[in-house]
Amino acid sequence: MASEAAPRRARRRFLLLPALLLALPPFLDQYQQYVVNLVLVYIPVGVGFNLVVGNLGQLAFSNVAFFGIGAYTSGILMLKLGLPWWATLPPAGIMGALAGGAASVPALRGVRSFYLAVMTLAFGELMRWSYIRLESLTGGSMGMAVPSADVFGWALATEWRKFYVFLALAAATVIATDRLLRSRIGRAFMAIKDNETAAAAMGIATSGYFVLGFAWSGFVVGIGGAMFAVLVGHLSPDSFDLIELILQFAIIMVGGLASLTGSVLGAVVITATPQIFANFPGFQELIFGLLIVLVILFLPRGLASLLARLHPVFRDQYYDG
Amino acid sequence: MTAEAAPLLDLAEVTVRFGGLKAVDAVSFAVAAGEVCALIGPNGAGKTTLFNAVTGNAAIAAGRIRFRGEDIQNLAPHEIAARGIRRTFQNGGLFGELTALENVLCGLHATIASGVAGVVLGAKRARAVERAATERARRLLDLMEIRHLEDRPARELSGGQQRMVEIVRALATDPPLLLLDEPAVGLAPPVRAQLGALIRRLAKETGLGILLIEHAIELVMNVSDRVVVLNYGAKIADAPPAAVRADRAVLEAYLGHG
Amino acid sequence: MLIVLPQLIVGGIATGMLYALIALSMTVVYRATTIVNFGHGDLVMAGAYAIFVFTAGLALPFLPALLLAAGLLFLLGFGLHRLLMQPIMSGPHLSLAMMALAAGNVLRGAARLEWGNETLALARPYAQTSFLLGQTVFTMDDIVTTGAVLLLLLALFCVLHLTPAGKIIQAVFQSQRGAALVGINVNAFHGVMWGTGAALGAIGGALLALTVTLSPDIGVWTLLRAFAAMTLGGFGSLGGAVIGGILLGVMEKLLGFYVSTAFIDITAYVVTILVLLVRPQGLFGRPAARRI
Repeated sequence: MASEAAPRRARRRFLLLPALLLALPPFLDQYQQYVVNLVLVYIPVGVGFNLVVGNLGQLAFSNVAFFGIGAYTSGILMLKLGLPWWATLPPAGIMGALAGGAASVPALRGVRSFYLAVMTLAFGELMRWSYIRLESLTGGSMGMAVPSADVFGWALATEWRKFYVFLALAAATVIATDRLLRSRIGRAFMAIKDNETAAAAMGIATSGYFVLGFAWSGFVVGIGGAMFAVLVGHLSPDSFDLIELILQFAIIMVGGLASLTGSVLGAVVITATPQIFANFPGFQELIFGLLIVLVILFLPRGLASLLARLHPVFRDQYYDG
Repeated sequence: MTAEAAPLLDLAEVTVRFGGLKAVDAVSFAVAAGEVCALIGPNGAGKTTLFNAVTGNAAIAAGRIRFRGEDIQNLAPHEIAARGIRRTFQNGGLFGELTALENVLCGLHATIASGVAGVVLGAKRARAVERAATERARRLLDLMEIRHLEDRPARELSGGQQRMVEIVRALATDPPLLLLDEPAVGLAPPVRAQLGALIRRLAKETGLGILLIEHAIELVMNVSDRVVVLNYGAKIADAPPAAVRADRAVLEAYLGHG
Repeated sequence: MLIVLPQLIVGGIATGMLYALIALSMTVVYRATTIVNFGHGDLVMAGAYAIFVFTAGLALPFLPALLLAAGLLFLLGFGLHRLLMQPIMSGPHLSLAMMALAAGNVLRGAARLEWGNETLALARPYAQTSFLLGQTVFTMDDIVTTGAVLLLLLALFCVLHLTPAGKIIQAVFQSQRGAALVGINVNAFHGVMWGTGAALGAIGGALLALTVTLSPDIGVWTLLRAFAAMTLGGFGSLGGAVIGGILLGVMEKLLGFYVSTAFIDITAYVVTILVLLVRPQGLFGRPAARRI
């Protein structure tokens, strides 16, 4: 029994890492702090995306739509209804989850692979068109200024303060998704990815898990969207275009498909590095494109597979033990 | 007590059509608890299609399929599995990225009563049922003496090991009926013999009903209580192995196909 | 309102011809390799910029520039397949889709680094006049686009149906394994088809740059419309891609005029989503048999 308990304890120890991050802010300047916060935004975004693409195995390009829907839900509720930011988190997640549920409909009707990709790509562009056209809500192509945020009256006036709130949210999404993946639900996702017929023969109601997987992904990514809204303070349709999609793909592919560690790692690597080059138009596309090409050719299971060799804690496991 | 008198699985005039072709043509037979029933026939005779009809993967055009007295022909595959009909697959149905243990846990899926909320919030009960399932899965692997494989991804296992894990997975919930689709394919003769002994033992000691598709004729003859022969979708024989071996129609069906 | 209908249809057909050509060039790759090339739009874009460089930079006449660009894109398409796609051909669809998408991104990023986000103009090698036929105006742009695509379609049809090479291509389209059995080098064939698709796309890019605009983002814009055309006509059907493209062009114009101009932009997306949901085999295809 002792040997079985070991990985669990090791995982707990691993959770101390975010705790160490708490001491980070004093060492960083304003801009570096912003980049760290951006990384924290992209952790839920990567986690949610990876669940659909990596675990459920669906070639769905709808993640940017979930992200945008979460961001705009939060922004609009703050601006139009005067809700405090913290109160917009659940609706942002729920709207994301609803969008996820909608995106699972084609999969339920048997649309798979390239066809699903084409369709969800169209869905994402349709959403971007909506942000431009629903001008009275979204501010159209000029975008909308997001009011300043607070958490239960505590104003998120500095990057530091955002950092602590974001860290808590990012950690919560990672832990919740980790629990999900280590249960029969996570195993059902993996089973469906591998062989839907065999999954059903195990008594797994595959349709339900399609909806659940997409909805959970939408929920988590929607929360990421709400975080993004307050971090950048200004939402515009351009933030949710194909370059954004490639960035999000780079996160999960460079980090490692179907790996929670990979999503986090990808968010760190992909979000932090290209900020240096953000001022050269085209450079991000070039770098992300090259990175994805290289990873597919030489490291198909991403950076997480390197870590997994170092310590079993980073290996994906789909049971509690 | 009609439940005891009724067979476990009862097929009546089952027909499956693919377009104009009758892949299975008005086939009737039954499998009782504790019985090993083999389904044989030349390639394309409709054996796997019949399996798919029983498990809900192929719609039947006519007839009825009863399991423990209940009509199941209109149920979805996962519902049929949850009622206790489990199967293995011709080309190996293990989930390659999951470990042997996780594969067996997938077999236990329907028995793990945990919901999204309980899992995500880390509820005690959800964790307890997950743990209990993990323990059961380990015990089952132990029983088949493949516990040492539990952490190996299924795709890294040998053919024989994969077959064993797949059988453990199919039997994890103690189902009353097991469907084996060519379990001996690709196995070395000694492993085949072990498999045959296992099939016999499972049926006789636990009362499991087994429906078996197999081309390895000596295995069929050794393990089955009864052999059903299909040819061009129709049943041409249904008798104990020795009688089938002597049956002229069966011989012709096989020889006719070369 | 009805009086403008012929005018809308003429304009719609001209735009639709562009979609048709690009959808066709994607279908060639899809039929040959069963891969949907998510980077194809960026090859179209690269072709357009190549012509821009040859005409504006090197001051070549238009037609030689077009041929050079098509040749260059053939090499690019062939090279992409050989270096990036062939090594992962047996891999999951996700890798194939992402590889193509990422390669396209590299091209797009390179174009943006060099030329920025501003739109460029490709000088027309013909006078920008128009003709009046009854009530309907035919612009030179419409005529050139439609004429060029029709010529290409005719040429392609002749190659496919009248030459020995065309017969081989058709045979491989029917059965990949059969092709390998009769000794066709499948890898080389795939490479040539990627090259052909890219070269056809380059011509589409040239027409697009002439009559619409030239910017790094035209590739993505085109890709989504080509998808809609392919979906509408039935994914994988050469004729379907052409008809789907023309239909899409006409639908855009009709919806734009009779409903709202706002809908021009989303016709393609709505078409893609609706067709795949309701009739995945396209308007003209037969439902595929389901296999277990």
